[in-house]
Amino acid sequence: MPDHGLVVDHVTKRYGARTVVDDLSFSVAPGRVTGFLGPNGSGKSTTMKILLGLAAADGGTTLVGDRAYVDLDDPSAIVGAALETNAFHPGRSGRDHLRILACAAGVAPRRIDESLVVAGLADAADRRAGTYSLGMRQRLGLAAALLCDPPVLVLDEPGNGLDPQGVRELRDLLRDRAAHGGTVFVSSHLLGEAEHLVDDVVVIDHGRLVTSGPLAELRHETALVRSPDSNRLADALRRAGASVDLDDPDPDRDRDSLLVRGLPLDAVGHVAFEHGVEISELSTRSGSLEELFMSWTSQGSRDGASAPREKEDA
Amino acid sequence: MTLMRRPVRSELMKLTTTRMPWAFLVVLLVMGGINAASVAFGTDFDGSKAFVSTADDQQSLIAFAGNATMIAGLFGAIAAAREYAHLTVIPTFLADPGRRRVVVAQLVAIAVGGGVLGALGAAITTVAVAASLPTTEYGFLIPAVDVIQVVAASAFCGAVGAVLGAGIGIVVRNVGGAVTGAVLVLIVAPPMLVQLISSTASWVPASLALDLSGVGSEVAAPAAVFGLLLWALVPAAVGAFTVRHRDVA
Repeated sequence: MPDHGLVVDHVTKRYGARTVVDDLSFSVAPGRVTGFLGPNGSGKSTTMKILLGLAAADGGTTLVGDRAYVDLDDPSAIVGAALETNAFHPGRSGRDHLRILACAAGVAPRRIDESLVVAGLADAADRRAGTYSLGMRQRLGLAAALLCDPPVLVLDEPGNGLDPQGVRELRDLLRDRAAHGGTVFVSSHLLGEAEHLVDDVVVIDHGRLVTSGPLAELRHETALVRSPDSNRLADALRRAGASVDLDDPDPDRDRDSLLVRGLPLDAVGHVAFEHGVEISELSTRSGSLEELFMSWTSQGSRDGASAPREKEDA
Repeated sequence: MTLMRRPVRSELMKLTTTRMPWAFLVVLLVMGGINAASVAFGTDFDGSKAFVSTADDQQSLIAFAGNATMIAGLFGAIAAAREYAHLTVIPTFLADPGRRRVVVAQLVAIAVGGGVLGALGAAITTVAVAASLPTTEYGFLIPAVDVIQVVAASAFCGAVGAVLGAGIGIVVRNVGGAVTGAVLVLIVAPPMLVQLISSTASWVPASLALDLSGVGSEVAAPAAVFGLLLWALVPAAVGAFTVRHRDVA
């Protein structure tokens, strides 16, 4: 199977004076589910549109495999995408919507029924799409993305509006695609769900890369250090290049615990030793994805933009 | 041509899988009914039915090409703009990132739709007038060849009007705005243009449509075809240019 990884290389996009995507670089590997995370308005959808040739970048390049999307000979056969929940005519049935796409893509009509079944929309296929619930619209988008059985899936918030069973089916489907070598790139703000779905994450904020890499590794990148002299230790760690947050920013609580990112555990201990700061605990902090996300993006917000950190093996 | 077959078929399918064509068919039927009623109940100032007394009079009555240009203009504007309004252009461009090819396919499909509307409009009007003539003392006097000319002219003008409307729809991307734009270009602007430059009177769409229908004789048929094509192709070209250079959604 050819390598159908995705590459976003120093992409910048501006709308007037506003920079929506700012020198963004990351890659998405085949065989893995990659979550594209960021607060609302952080540039996720715009990046996906640039990747798929729907919007033009002001700088940088994007690749699907080794070519830009618009240069692919048969893009539908390689990439299945669902970017907008409402990208259909409300007066047209779900089946007709897929018939039109199948015709444009040159797909055998039998794939329409197969996609409808996989997406769980077979029973409602002949209803007008305007009568669909949000979850059913998501399923229609997913059916459209699966129409050509492509090796790459690019989905923007596919879990929005799905019921718990639908979320689970979606998760199983995407994990199965990745397990068979497919490239799955999914944006989401449903962090609890993403945590169960993704292997890798790409986190952006204000259009800039905050972090990327295997989620399992990123989880262990945060050190928890407890010290009676936490202020002095925090200063020392920051001087050593780490980003430091209070574990609990509540001013009424103990403020002796610090969350340290950007330095390995032994380096944190070394800094404390060098500055003669007593520490009472030093451990890795495996927070939930939500906690990690909040710390990544709040760090970015405070600093304007934090220095991007990327795992090369992502 | 093989490259265009898939997108054109897909665009034709878009036109036939919503209720819009039926809505326009209803409009044509209503217009046919109005024509029939005017023949049955209308009179000249002197109370006679002189307005249907000759073949030329009757041909003027069934000459639908001018109406076809306007109705198909609205059809084209709605068909093109709704692609953007409903974001259906996104899966279309994902399936075929060659935007110029997609736009050409869309214009071809909409031209076919407009042509069918124009032909149907002329046919319905002809049948309506023929059916109501027995209420007068006159029979149906138009030779078959002239009926064919009227229907063909109406089909051509429908196609041209649809492409013109589609061009506006592609540029404006908003159904209400596109309809307004088509009305401005096809209905409001021509008389204003004639008021400003009287020599353009022969070159506005309604006048060219009459010439093609064999009712007017201001401009020769080839020149009328050229003039109508120009009216359509300018907005279509602007639409094709903007599609290539604008982000989607």
